[in-house]
Amino acid sequence: MTATYPQVLLKNRKPDRITTLSEYREAGGYEALRRVLTEMDRQEVKTRLADALLLGRGGAGFPAGIKVSTVAEDAPFPRYLVCNADEMEPGTFKDRVFLHAEPHMLIEGMALAAYSIRASHGIIFIRPEYESAAKILEREIGIARGEGLLGERILGSDYDFEIVVHRSGGRYICGEVTAQLNALQGRRPNPKQPPPYATDKGLWGLPTLANNVETLACIPHIVKNGAQWFKDLALTPEAAGTKLFCVSGKVNRPGCYELPLGIKLSEIIETCCGGMKDGATFKACLPGGASTGYLTADHYHIEMDFDSLKKARNRLGTGAVMVFDHHCCMVAATLNLTEFFARESCGWCTPCREGFPYLRDLLWRIENGQGEAGFIPMIKTMCRHLWKSYCAFAPGGVASIESLLMNFEDEVMAHIEGKGCPFKK
Amino acid sequence: MLPEKLKSELTAQIARVDHPREMAIDVINALQDHYGYFSDEALAQAADLLGMSPLELDELATFYTFIYREPVGKHVIHVCDSLICWMEGDENLVAHLCDRLGIQMGGTTADGLFTLLPVCCIGYCDRAPAILVDRQVHGPLTIDALDRLIDTLRENHS
Amino acid sequence: MPTLKIDNREINVPAGTKVIEAAERLGIMIPRFCFHPALGSVGACRVCAVAFTEGPVKGIQMSCMIDAQDGMVVSTTDAEAVDFRRHVIEFLMLNHPHDCPVCDEGGHCLLQDLTVAGGHGLRRYRGLKRTHINQDLGPLVQHEMNRCIQCYRCSRYYQEFTGYRDLGVMGIGSRVYFGRSAPGMLESPFAGNLIDICPTGVYTDKPSRYIGRRWDYQRQPSLCIHCSLGCNLTASARYRQVVRHEARPNLEVNGHFICDRGRYGYAYASIADRPRQAMAAGTPGPIVDILAGAREAIQQTVEKHGPGSVAVVVSPRSSLETLAVVKEACGQHGWTGPAAAHTNRQALNRNTAVSCLRPELAVSLAADTEAHDVLVIGADPLNEAPMLALSLRQVQRRGGHVIVIDPRGVQLPFDFDHWAVHPSAMGAILQALIQEIGGHRATAPDTPATFDITKLARRLNASPRPVVVCGTDILTPHEIALAGDLARALRRTHKVAGLFYTLAGANAFAAALLHDQPVSTEAVLDRIEDGGVRLLVAVEQDLWREFPDRKRLQAALKRLDHLVVLDYVDSPLNREAGHFIPTQPLYESGGHWINQEGRLQAASPVMAGGEPIEITGGSDHPPRVFDRRIPGDEPLAAWRAVAALAGEDEADPAPQLKTALADFHPAVNLSTPEATGQRIDLEAIAHDLVESGPAPEPAEDDAPADAVVLLLVDWTFGTEPLSAMAPALTRMEAAPVARLHPDEIARLGLAEGRPVTVSLNGNRLTVPVQADPRMAAGVMAVPRHHLLEWQVFGETRVIVKRSQLKAESE
Repeated sequence: MTATYPQVLLKNRKPDRITTLSEYREAGGYEALRRVLTEMDRQEVKTRLADALLLGRGGAGFPAGIKVSTVAEDAPFPRYLVCNADEMEPGTFKDRVFLHAEPHMLIEGMALAAYSIRASHGIIFIRPEYESAAKILEREIGIARGEGLLGERILGSDYDFEIVVHRSGGRYICGEVTAQLNALQGRRPNPKQPPPYATDKGLWGLPTLANNVETLACIPHIVKNGAQWFKDLALTPEAAGTKLFCVSGKVNRPGCYELPLGIKLSEIIETCCGGMKDGATFKACLPGGASTGYLTADHYHIEMDFDSLKKARNRLGTGAVMVFDHHCCMVAATLNLTEFFARESCGWCTPCREGFPYLRDLLWRIENGQGEAGFIPMIKTMCRHLWKSYCAFAPGGVASIESLLMNFEDEVMAHIEGKGCPFKK
Repeated sequence: MLPEKLKSELTAQIARVDHPREMAIDVINALQDHYGYFSDEALAQAADLLGMSPLELDELATFYTFIYREPVGKHVIHVCDSLICWMEGDENLVAHLCDRLGIQMGGTTADGLFTLLPVCCIGYCDRAPAILVDRQVHGPLTIDALDRLIDTLRENHS
Repeated sequence: MPTLKIDNREINVPAGTKVIEAAERLGIMIPRFCFHPALGSVGACRVCAVAFTEGPVKGIQMSCMIDAQDGMVVSTTDAEAVDFRRHVIEFLMLNHPHDCPVCDEGGHCLLQDLTVAGGHGLRRYRGLKRTHINQDLGPLVQHEMNRCIQCYRCSRYYQEFTGYRDLGVMGIGSRVYFGRSAPGMLESPFAGNLIDICPTGVYTDKPSRYIGRRWDYQRQPSLCIHCSLGCNLTASARYRQVVRHEARPNLEVNGHFICDRGRYGYAYASIADRPRQAMAAGTPGPIVDILAGAREAIQQTVEKHGPGSVAVVVSPRSSLETLAVVKEACGQHGWTGPAAAHTNRQALNRNTAVSCLRPELAVSLAADTEAHDVLVIGADPLNEAPMLALSLRQVQRRGGHVIVIDPRGVQLPFDFDHWAVHPSAMGAILQALIQEIGGHRATAPDTPATFDITKLARRLNASPRPVVVCGTDILTPHEIALAGDLARALRRTHKVAGLFYTLAGANAFAAALLHDQPVSTEAVLDRIEDGGVRLLVAVEQDLWREFPDRKRLQAALKRLDHLVVLDYVDSPLNREAGHFIPTQPLYESGGHWINQEGRLQAASPVMAGGEPIEITGGSDHPPRVFDRRIPGDEPLAAWRAVAALAGEDEADPAPQLKTALADFHPAVNLSTPEATGQRIDLEAIAHDLVESGPAPEPAEDDAPADAVVLLLVDWTFGTEPLSAMAPALTRMEAAPVARLHPDEIARLGLAEGRPVTVSLNGNRLTVPVQADPRMAAGVMAVPRHHLLEWQVFGETRVIVKRSQLKAESE
């Protein structure tokens, strides 16, 4: 089903276990690290990352090459590398699948990224639901250390790098990098607006580079095969690399698929996922997790990459495709999402903390037959105002509501006029 | 009372890091595992171990989903109620669990065996509807599978 | 200096000014909840949103988060910004209980103001409100969490600004809760400021709960007289009772805050046993008659024994007006005194400090916060002058460093270095420091090696802005002068080097200007004992409570022919008086005070005086008696009473006051209103007093090896005599104990928790022992606690031999 597309991150994926260190090395693993430590200089790693146009895979899509280069040459030590394995975006489970498949690819990617900024401390911040992955990582980090791939004088070089696994107490906002850095320092995980930027003053006031699991996992391949090779993996000219798409909802085969960026949504659903469940009709999907807007059937053939979705006034997000069929009530779905954001708002700024419970109340009333036509402009204004919150949480949270009103206003009005949900008998 | 062994282990772990505060969640988790929940006593001990004030610890403890400041049952069942699990019928699971255990969402069974709590997306959308029991995931779940799971957990205690 | 345009008006502001502050300079008050000048910007509440229409920043942004920059064009009236702000306020009101009618904040509530001003009038939200359970936070602060708008000011103030860690924020999302982990007394002695900074009624003033609305109060700018810092406050009175203090911002002194001793210490002015009736030998009479009787007694004594047989003692807490009239009276009539310190050492300490405070060295409390390195010598800030501790906390927050050299177990709410050295070693350390700073290698004094003087000297020398803070309670004049020398030595190599003394008494600085050669009560008692003084006038100086040798005082009083007491507090001393004249506390008299840095400040009278209606009415409606006079209105401002004693019968004392103030001291100029609020002319103070007086050094060098130095010290609560009368503060007091280092307890054969009896010169003091590992060896610290009869040894720093200590069984 996906055999037609080259596999990079999940090439050696086993059905029920990880790729062991020896298997990983047999497949060419840690070759990039060896080459970097013996043959290449730091700048070369950074250059390749920049040339490969690797965009952050955690949701924001920030160019990884630029982020690496913002750590100043003369910045103080020690420097930190944080791997964000706090995959909390609803619908997203790619990192979970990946960590249960290729822990060493992440370890190598972290060592390379750390080397490029001369970081000595690596931290994997992982959500508590992924305890099994945390255990795997701790074990494999130990094994890698035993093989001289981590710790002091890695592969006989003068480079030292350690990785520890930090378990979160579990909150969506911890996935936001500044909140995550607060969490790592034993502070309340409220986001913190820059400046200072983490790459300047992050953990304990020291330079800190933070990247998503998938982003880091791409690095060994880019270093080994070059920027052009990476760019060629994508189907659209502006995009680069493969992407771990996780598809869930009303499809026959939900799951995590490694596919080239730029693949058509329709192809993901039909070819990879075996089409819609029970022969239902595609109604909409969230292309990249709960913080993106609905894509309707109009965009059924959209090319799934950062640029194409931006052009469609949406976002690729985490690449978590959540599929709705024609039986789904979009008001109820949006209410569910809003409940999520109301519950997970950290409580720092007013519009987010109070706005989501307010929006939840209005949506609940619409869904349950107490809606009024006047709610619609109220909701629209409120959503607009939630964009003026402190961090990106609220703009993400209102994406589904705004796109509900943009694409499904008739369905909303049907609720209001019919005094109830037309999807409930 | 905190066993000496656990206390010395934690003290040693804290001593190994540059800033004791960074161990806060780990220490909270360890004490929670020991006491069953993060009790006031545990809070005071954790504060002591970390050189933080009880309030500073509470500021963290009350923030997170998986830290329980009130007593919970031996098994904490977290039912995912985010989008995909909801689409796949988590509400039926909750209704069935409430019925079967005789408690409301948020309650604990009289025998102290089970606590039922909601949870936001746990990252197992490919296995929806999914639940977490003692941080282990189960899914996709049917009512039958859920019954079997509860039976097994009960049997393990009788 | 960026120039920007706000609402079509141009303004030029210093770089780093936030747009919200720039607007304020134009008189445009952009709404704010989380922003507070003392706490800075965090961008949490979002109510200060404005539109940036041109320039480097565009769109709707928070004016507290954006630095003013050249070319910015800002509109506070932009439709989208106004609509957003209205929504923010609507959001904040979703869960608010709308309990303004029963809320003590009502009428001066920022949330009320902005809700109205922001245009949120109609409630649209139909959901349920979330509610919280309140906590008992102790006797000072009332908690009502349901009113909270989550601005985070309280947790930021409490933890970041004051450094205390028992109040903060718990929970998440719309359920965040501000309070303690468990109900209980707030640990910070600055907790009362929560009431001032909370923009709504979550934290309200507990003692004044339900007493009135702000507009019901008589409110006037006033001063705190519970230590020498002179913090500014606003005092409120209702129904002839002082009911509340609030911090009054003064960016040169106390910033935006005051301590809880100052906030709640006012009760003495209104308590039931405040003396309001003039008495002659215990018999009440009209005050004019009593004054005339006292005047006659003075005249007779003068006729019989000469003018020097009349002596005056006055409190260093009294107003400048009182001090000036007392000084004038003594000078004119040749009376002995005035004495405005208890012991010779205390008098010399104070005058030494004042004479060492050269204008180029003096720094204000506010300027302290800008120091990079602060050396604190012989001072215990939190206990002696609490707001100093808050200033030092800001030094540490800004990356500066505080080191305290003091034998006591000094505690501060932040990390600092403490050299717990024996009192006898202080002078040698200071001398060594001065030598090192001057580039000479000092011979190390006999102190532990951990106290690295060379390193400390290097640190101070390298500091961009060092400040020396010096106490005047436990030290000797010599050490106090050395602290001044140290600051002078630093000044040679620094553009800015500061010197900051704390003194004993709110007007101690002015008291130091009474004479070049200070007179102490101790010296007056000598004269009573030798028969030279036959009549004593005690002006607002409660010798019974404050003089450190009560037995000697009592004996001396017996030798007097006559005692005249003028005071506003009840004291056994008053009952010894042949004539007692009730005076007015500052809430009634107003007046001027000079704080420890030499700043002249004014307090306005708050009310006319008279017995509180709560007392006259027995907590009910006051009696329906028609009279032209207010019951209990007899007390006079002390300066008027003194003028009446010293002057002619029926004479108008106002010109007398004017002359007295003009003649007080060349450094003090009250002739222009601008002088108030400014530092007095320190240049006009003689700076050579130090050498002139023989310093009575405690003979610790000759003390036997097994002796300890007993220090009678101040505590934040319970030792300052006026605030110790406040019922609200009694729960804040710790029970009096003698603190010693645990090794010292063992060495002396004492036991922790058990009482020890100190016997000296036939006097005894029994007090429980408490171990304090932060203390220096060879020292015992006992509080001048109102629950302890500490007035036994004649001095507040004495040598006690081991044989004079006895461990009591229980």
